[in-house]
Amino acid sequence: MIARLDRGFLVGFALALLFVTSAAFVHLAARPRLEKVREEELLYYPSGFMVRQATLGYETAAADVAWLRGIQYYGEHRLSDQKFEMIGHVMDIVTELDPRFVQPYVFGAFVLAQEMKRPERGLELLQRGLRANPSDWKIAFEIGFLHYVCRHDAASAAHYFTLASRMPGHEEYVERFAAFANQRAGNTGMAILLWKHVLATGNKYMQEVAQRELRRLGAI
Amino acid sequence: MSRVIAIARNTLREVVRERVVLILALFGLALVIASQALSPLALGEGRKVVIDFGLAGSSILATLLTVFLGSSLLHKELERRTVYAILAKPIRREEFLVGKFLGLWFTTSMLLISMAGILAAVVTVAYGATPWSVFGAVGLSVMELSIVTAVVVLFSSFTTPALTAFFAIAAVVSGHFAEDLRYFASQGAPVGVQALAEAVYWTLPHLGVFNARGLVAHGIAVEPERLGFAFAYGALYAGGIVILAGTIFRRREFR
Repeated sequence: MIARLDRGFLVGFALALLFVTSAAFVHLAARPRLEKVREEELLYYPSGFMVRQATLGYETAAADVAWLRGIQYYGEHRLSDQKFEMIGHVMDIVTELDPRFVQPYVFGAFVLAQEMKRPERGLELLQRGLRANPSDWKIAFEIGFLHYVCRHDAASAAHYFTLASRMPGHEEYVERFAAFANQRAGNTGMAILLWKHVLATGNKYMQEVAQRELRRLGAI
Repeated sequence: MSRVIAIARNTLREVVRERVVLILALFGLALVIASQALSPLALGEGRKVVIDFGLAGSSILATLLTVFLGSSLLHKELERRTVYAILAKPIRREEFLVGKFLGLWFTTSMLLISMAGILAAVVTVAYGATPWSVFGAVGLSVMELSIVTAVVVLFSSFTTPALTAFFAIAAVVSGHFAEDLRYFASQGAPVGVQALAEAVYWTLPHLGVFNARGLVAHGIAVEPERLGFAFAYGALYAGGIVILAGTIFRRREFR
């Protein structure tokens, strides 16, 4: 009985091992194709509204998954072809799932405006963020930033810097920027000041961009 | 009441015997790994991501545990014929069912609260500040569990474990879709369909009431008013379902 049981157990174990190993081989063989499919699948990434229906009350966790996937997408393309066509779409999904999640508005807008040279699309994302978070000074500040640096529109920048300076919890430098933009519309001094601020406070990627822009402006 | 508590205590012991404490250990380990692995990938949003995943994970685990443990709880009593010995004593069938409900709900709620404790501890150690607001969201999830437990007890009072699990999961899914169902029906559907959707909407549990995970992940505390409303809704809905289950169970013939 015991011998039969052991034999049965061994056969079962061997079969299970065979199946799992075969699956690993199939995955290995299909990897080149899967890499391509992964790229293509973002094209069919459903809208945030559709994803929201499917998350059954776990929207913010789903937003985090989409956010992590978006960061990976950005990293992969930054190291390869420097094309970020899907980043706006991914950040739209993240923010539709979790409208209070501020970082995707800011990061998405930054990539859209700086890397893809589409400041209007970046501003659109930020405006949606401001509508969802009307008292978040960081979003208002970033809108001002894009108006000044990308669109060279000092009047709009001054408007949003001033708005940010009236919001609760803002940093001390926001008031300085608002005053400066209102006073000296149209000079590069403001751009240098803004980039220096990004250099001092932004994440690694933002610091790299700031360094590049400051070098271009002859400020470092 | 003492008879109900005795049944509840016995149910608690029975569930704990299933080694559910192992889930706590696995949950804690998964959270520690997540906090270490996700932080560098989340571009400064590691704390939010860990809180989100922790709350979602604990809620999903507690719901699944309720469904799968609860669906076989009554069936086991019938299969082992222990139910005959219990019901031969001076205890009503309804009291037996309420005891089962309370025992299962208490166990899964304790598990959920323990998972929230682990989450708060991991976030405190990894990111500094203690996220006290997670306990507000967990309070709401505990009330959501009362409805899930009641639904499980209802179906287990007259169907098989497999069907109980199926219906309970269907109730949880449709409970989250209740608002959408009503909304879609209001978008130009015929009057009859709208009335039907309205009736279904009010029959289904509104589980969206118990979801404050999105707020809590952003550090926003759950208002006492909302907690009070959710408590009242959960108690009433679960109470109604348990009464219905008791009514069905009283008429059930054992073979």
